[in-house]
Amino acid sequence: MKHAAIAALLLAATAVPALAQQAMKPEDQIKMRKSTMDLIGYNFGSLAAMAEGKKPFDRDEAVRNADLVAQLAALPRRFFGEGTSIEGKTKAKPSIWEHRADFDQKMDKLGEETRKLPAVARGGDMDAFKKQVTEASHACKSCHDDYKAK
Amino acid sequence: MSAAFARIRVWDLPTRIFHWALAALAVFSFTTGKIGGDWMAWHLKSGYAILVLVLFRLAWGFAGSRTARFAHFVRGPRSAMGYARGLLAGRPAREVGHNPLGGWMIVLMLAAIAFQAATGLFADDEIATQGPLAAKVSNAVVSRMSALHSANEWIIAALVALHVLAIVVYRLAWKTPLAAAMVHGWMDAPAGAEEPARRPAWLALVVLALAALAVYALVEIYPMR
Repeated sequence: MKHAAIAALLLAATAVPALAQQAMKPEDQIKMRKSTMDLIGYNFGSLAAMAEGKKPFDRDEAVRNADLVAQLAALPRRFFGEGTSIEGKTKAKPSIWEHRADFDQKMDKLGEETRKLPAVARGGDMDAFKKQVTEASHACKSCHDDYKAK
Repeated sequence: MSAAFARIRVWDLPTRIFHWALAALAVFSFTTGKIGGDWMAWHLKSGYAILVLVLFRLAWGFAGSRTARFAHFVRGPRSAMGYARGLLAGRPAREVGHNPLGGWMIVLMLAAIAFQAATGLFADDEIATQGPLAAKVSNAVVSRMSALHSANEWIIAALVALHVLAIVVYRLAWKTPLAAAMVHGWMDAPAGAEEPARRPAWLALVVLALAALAVYALVEIYPMR
């Protein structure tokens, strides 16, 4: 019974974002995607600093950062609904909604590359770690270059 | 070659090295910025080196050899127009050093490149790279600087394209080997033209060292304080 209750609760928790997305105001979607991007940036920045040797490699911290980036990277795409290209409120270019398939493909690539981060952070092979951080940053950049205003 | 010309040294070694080093670093900076990822560390280093070169060139423009000095090649609009008229008539006057139009091109390119290096210090690519001074200013400034850093790259690209085009036209239309002169320093000057005075290379080294020290303090020491 207790397990069933927890299961129901978890189900409800995972269902909320999907439901919320339908009703979420454009302004709130913008807020959500910016917040998640900020958190990705914070955690990925830490990984990049370790990869570049700007700060010493700390396995625990790297694993924490990598797990978070992998999880968070799945979020922003949920908050790029129609009507969320509001002049002055977002750097997201209107062309996202004209080239949605390409945008989605770039988001897929982001997911694909960031999901490999936790393993290389745990693995302790610095070359593999650096290589994957670079791959993930290219995934960020290819989308920013096309769809994020300067 | 008619006897109406005399071969003289027009560009000193420091100015020539400056020119080709800047050209190489500008291409390197552009490329690494486009690639991104782990090349961004080199993009920043390249920017610091460019800043050193620009500072050196500014100083050399006041204390350097005669043809490197701003006072020698920055001339008023009237002489620039006069030179442009001769150019359009197909008979550009042969100048010892930068011609009046070229002089303004140097000023524009130096300004644009200095601006690029300076804005880069405060820029943030919103992936994993920040300029060394980005943490010292407000986010509004960082955002503005980043946007300017992006927009200005195309201004530089346009200026460089115009610069290279001019070199090619001088070579093809008037058989004036400007690029070669910037390599070896020699030109065929009108007979009777005096070889411009050169400052010693050790002075250029001192100026370069001072510029490097200033940039090092700005990007390595100051951000840690």
